[in-house]
Amino acid sequence: YTFEFHTATALPVYMQQTSQPAATVAAVKTTGNTWQTFKKPGTMQGKTQKPKAPPKPQQLHYCDVCKISCAGPQTYREHLEGQKHKKKEAAAKAGPTPSRHGASLRCELCDVTCTGADAYAAHIRGAKHQKVVKLHQKLGKPIPSTDPVVVGGTTKTSTTTAGATVGAKTTTSGAAATTGTLTAADGKKDDLKDDLLDLKEKDVEPVGQEYIEEIKNEEGKVISFNCKLCECRFNDPNAKEMHMKGRRHRLQYKKKVNPELVVEVKPSLRQRKVQEEKLRRQQLREEMWRRREEERLLEEEERWYWEERRRYEEECEYLDWCRRYPRGPPGPPPMMPPGMPRPPFMPGMPPMMPMRRPDSSDDRHVLAKHAEIYPKEEELGAIQKIVSNTEKALKMVSDYLAEVDAPKEQQVKPKAKKEKEDDSKGEDDKKDGEKKEDGPPRMLKGVMRVGILAKGLLLRGDTNVQLVVLCGDKPTRTLLDRVADNLPKQLAVVAMEDKYDIQRVVEEAALVVQNIGEQRISVNVTLTSPIMREQLLHDGDSQVIAAKDPPDVLDKQKCLDALAALRHAKWFQARANGLQSCVMVIRILRDLCQRVPTWGPLNSWAMELMCEKVIASAGQHLSPGDALRRVFEALASGLLLPGSPGLLDPCEKDPIDAASPLSAQEREDITASAQHALRLIAFRQIHKVLGMDPIPPPKFQRGGRFTRKRRRDNSTGEGNDSEGELDGGDGKKDKKEDGEDSKMDMDKETK
Amino acid sequence: MVMTRGRGRGMRGGMMRPMGPGPHFGPKMKQFVPRLPFDMVLCESAFPRVKPAPDESAFTQALLKRNADLSPTPAEQAAVLNLVTKIQAVMDNLIVDPGNFDACQIEEVRQVGSYKKGTMMTGHNVADIVVILKTLPTKEAVEALGKKVCDDLRSQEPQEVLVLTMLPNDRGFEISNSEATVRVLVTTIHQNLRKLDPELHLDQKILQSHLAAIRHSRWFEENAHHSTIKVLIRLLRDLRGRFEGFEPLSPWMLDLLAHYAILNNPSRQALPINSAFRRCLQLLAAGLFLPGSAGISDPCEGGNIRVHTAMTLEQQDLVCLTAQTLLRVLSHGGYKQILGLEGNSSIASEMSVWDGVVVSALEKAYEKPPERPPQDDDTDNMDADDDPMETTDN
Repeated sequence: YTFEFHTATALPVYMQQTSQPAATVAAVKTTGNTWQTFKKPGTMQGKTQKPKAPPKPQQLHYCDVCKISCAGPQTYREHLEGQKHKKKEAAAKAGPTPSRHGASLRCELCDVTCTGADAYAAHIRGAKHQKVVKLHQKLGKPIPSTDPVVVGGTTKTSTTTAGATVGAKTTTSGAAATTGTLTAADGKKDDLKDDLLDLKEKDVEPVGQEYIEEIKNEEGKVISFNCKLCECRFNDPNAKEMHMKGRRHRLQYKKKVNPELVVEVKPSLRQRKVQEEKLRRQQLREEMWRRREEERLLEEEERWYWEERRRYEEECEYLDWCRRYPRGPPGPPPMMPPGMPRPPFMPGMPPMMPMRRPDSSDDRHVLAKHAEIYPKEEELGAIQKIVSNTEKALKMVSDYLAEVDAPKEQQVKPKAKKEKEDDSKGEDDKKDGEKKEDGPPRMLKGVMRVGILAKGLLLRGDTNVQLVVLCGDKPTRTLLDRVADNLPKQLAVVAMEDKYDIQRVVEEAALVVQNIGEQRISVNVTLTSPIMREQLLHDGDSQVIAAKDPPDVLDKQKCLDALAALRHAKWFQARANGLQSCVMVIRILRDLCQRVPTWGPLNSWAMELMCEKVIASAGQHLSPGDALRRVFEALASGLLLPGSPGLLDPCEKDPIDAASPLSAQEREDITASAQHALRLIAFRQIHKVLGMDPIPPPKFQRGGRFTRKRRRDNSTGEGNDSEGELDGGDGKKDKKEDGEDSKMDMDKETK
Repeated sequence: MVMTRGRGRGMRGGMMRPMGPGPHFGPKMKQFVPRLPFDMVLCESAFPRVKPAPDESAFTQALLKRNADLSPTPAEQAAVLNLVTKIQAVMDNLIVDPGNFDACQIEEVRQVGSYKKGTMMTGHNVADIVVILKTLPTKEAVEALGKKVCDDLRSQEPQEVLVLTMLPNDRGFEISNSEATVRVLVTTIHQNLRKLDPELHLDQKILQSHLAAIRHSRWFEENAHHSTIKVLIRLLRDLRGRFEGFEPLSPWMLDLLAHYAILNNPSRQALPINSAFRRCLQLLAAGLFLPGSAGISDPCEGGNIRVHTAMTLEQQDLVCLTAQTLLRVLSHGGYKQILGLEGNSSIASEMSVWDGVVVSALEKAYEKPPERPPQDDDTDNMDADDDPMETTDN
């Protein structure tokens, strides 16, 4: 009595709407036939007439559930234990499930559902069906007719007559969603024929023939087919046609080939839709989370950026302040009572202090290297001592000479007066300047630092520094002798406890002051006079003035070089000192030029000029690592090669390439070396360029508090203190000299 | 993965970062601001000329001559134009009226690549066409389309039956006659891209690259139509073909580099070809395409992707050192060898002497990181490699 179960495949709602007996509904409930079971289509329909448990094994070990016979009791037991059987049994218990398809044909005997007439026919012809028929004949069981049972799909049939004939158990089941109404119709054979026709007529265009491969045997005969889209195989050529029309294939085709292919709606459309909707929502949710996470990261990045920028600015301020007030007590600049502004002895940054928070690995390496090459406190102290003693002594020599010469020179040209005035400012003692304002012009007008001393480019191990004495007139051998004679006496006055050795180097237009001690430091004092250059700047008068040259005038070129050195120092203080990272990079490169023979020929003025131009032209602040890399980039791109614009010397009247002493081969070699260095830097091997060991990345430990603390520590640390000490009373002077000198130069230039 | 490649943050909001790489607060934070390398053209004002620039008319003439040698002949141009036109017509027909052809549906057909851009080279008479399918690009569909197009072409011009060939490949198919080849690159509409199955369809990366090719040619049309750019691209392609070290540079990188070298200057006027050619070498030599450089960010991709990150680190090193050596050769007057008018490509890898100056070749600087040897050459893993270096903190 099957019909309850078949009707039960419809929605329970339907059941209640129909005039079916209440028992039917109950049956539905007890069988627990719910939509969940619909996932296994085409099985076990009409099965329920069989007993739920397999029958006791008879002589022929026949499993009624699975419709197979077993060879013996043993295999039969095994079969009963097997997965396949259990599944089928469970399915049978759960009750029949309707086909997913709109309509299908069933072979009751084998319990196989076919999607179409062709498929059904193929099944009937097939070996499996024949086997079952034979078995049933053997068992003496009734053989149903080969007429198919139509399952679902039509609009008419929804119930069957209870008394279906034994021959053809015609069972129809109402299709779930498509059947709008349940008419208590009659399930006649005519209907069945109509159904079959329907199935046939619902002919769809076969699709995707090109995806069905023919598999041939050795003789080249086609033995089977393989559908690449559905990953299935079949042997029957008819099946191929059917497959291409089949729903599964069409779905795969839609999915994998043509998304626009229309595939008929499934009965369980609504359920599917719900599921799809769910999936879609989940995806959306995931998407949203991802986006939110991204936004959060971006935001965080942004925050870090501003935070970083703020700190950077703070740091700049702090640095500025450090540079201006090197001796001030530690603490953030705004809270500082500003001391006397004075430039430090070593302009630029004391080691390790400015970049308290090294940024990149490159920066860390550059800073470490810089700390390594930066002179030690004692070295700086020793140099500072001899330099300031020499300066003081020269000042006294100047006083002495002025006194001696005073009666002779009465005529004071206005220009000389002006120069003198300027000069007096240049002297470290202002009182002196004022006092002598109206006095006779001096032979020695002032002493100035040049070269690495003035630029703050001293490196560890440097023992040779330069001073330039500006003279009122062209310096002569006689003057040099007078100074050299008097200097020892004055030095003895200035520094009683120290002993100095003084040598004249007439060909260099200089005298050399050397201390006597374990650390030999020599100070070259070159005599020169702006008049030497004036002569050059005014070509017309040159012969006239040249005619007036005293006979023992000192080497002209040396004097001019000394003047140039003066201008270079001034330029440096004006341009390079204020430029972030510039001085540090120049020190590093100075070290490189000393260390690597290839770089030796690159003179320091050209190098300084180049660094300044390259770093300044970046248009943004560069960290030390970036600045160094940029210098190498510039060289690598051919800055020194023939055809490049060259390094125009800003301190000369005529256009001159500051790097002109370099030969073509030297330029080529330096460029090649810089090119390799650039790539080493880019590929994390900056230590090879700097000639040091690699520094491992720091441990991760960066709180704001930590860095702040370190900064304070540093600001009171050695670097600062030593700077302050060294600075002594000279800071003032340096600065004044700046202004004065530039004025002087401009005077010359404009004339 | 692709989107995160080489993602910098330089351009965001037009802000100028005052300092180089920022600090890094965690391994996740990619705090790194790529910086453009030194570029003489951009800071000319800082480097006034000491003496007037040397006369480069001979070099310019050589460049123009080389370009003329490299340009396709009128016959070649006519042949490829002819074939492209026919194929385009057949495809257009298929869009309008597919008839019984149902293997695939065509959404759009576009000409791309050097043919479209006008940067073709002689001896390589190949035009590229991208076909966007509405359907999914299965290998079968692509082959069927190729057959169909070929059949239609044959039916149009029966006399060509014998010479016309169609060869399917990973990217689509090629149709060639005796004089020209048209590469039909197949792709599909965007919404289909996620439905792809590597077993059945063309490779997704390839499909995406074909879509990118369309964007590239569109960008080119709008931004790089200047003739000097086209000449320079041709010269650079030729350079790439002759010097092994430039192999890793993709055509798209060359397009962008040429555009950058010619138009990215303070005056915004196209630079003359000789300056631009030298500038390309200078830029590469200065490390435009090295880690840590802002490089050129791809105008056709979102997310500020630097084009050179498509190369492995080793390749970046190679490209840079080749350019560095060639730049030195060029500055010592070796332009004929660089342009291939004289000598051979050994100048890039061996020592050469120019007017008494010895120009030596450079060595590689890149070293594979010892800790993670298996990851080195993989482009995908390059980011991982790249990042510690570029983010400067780990």
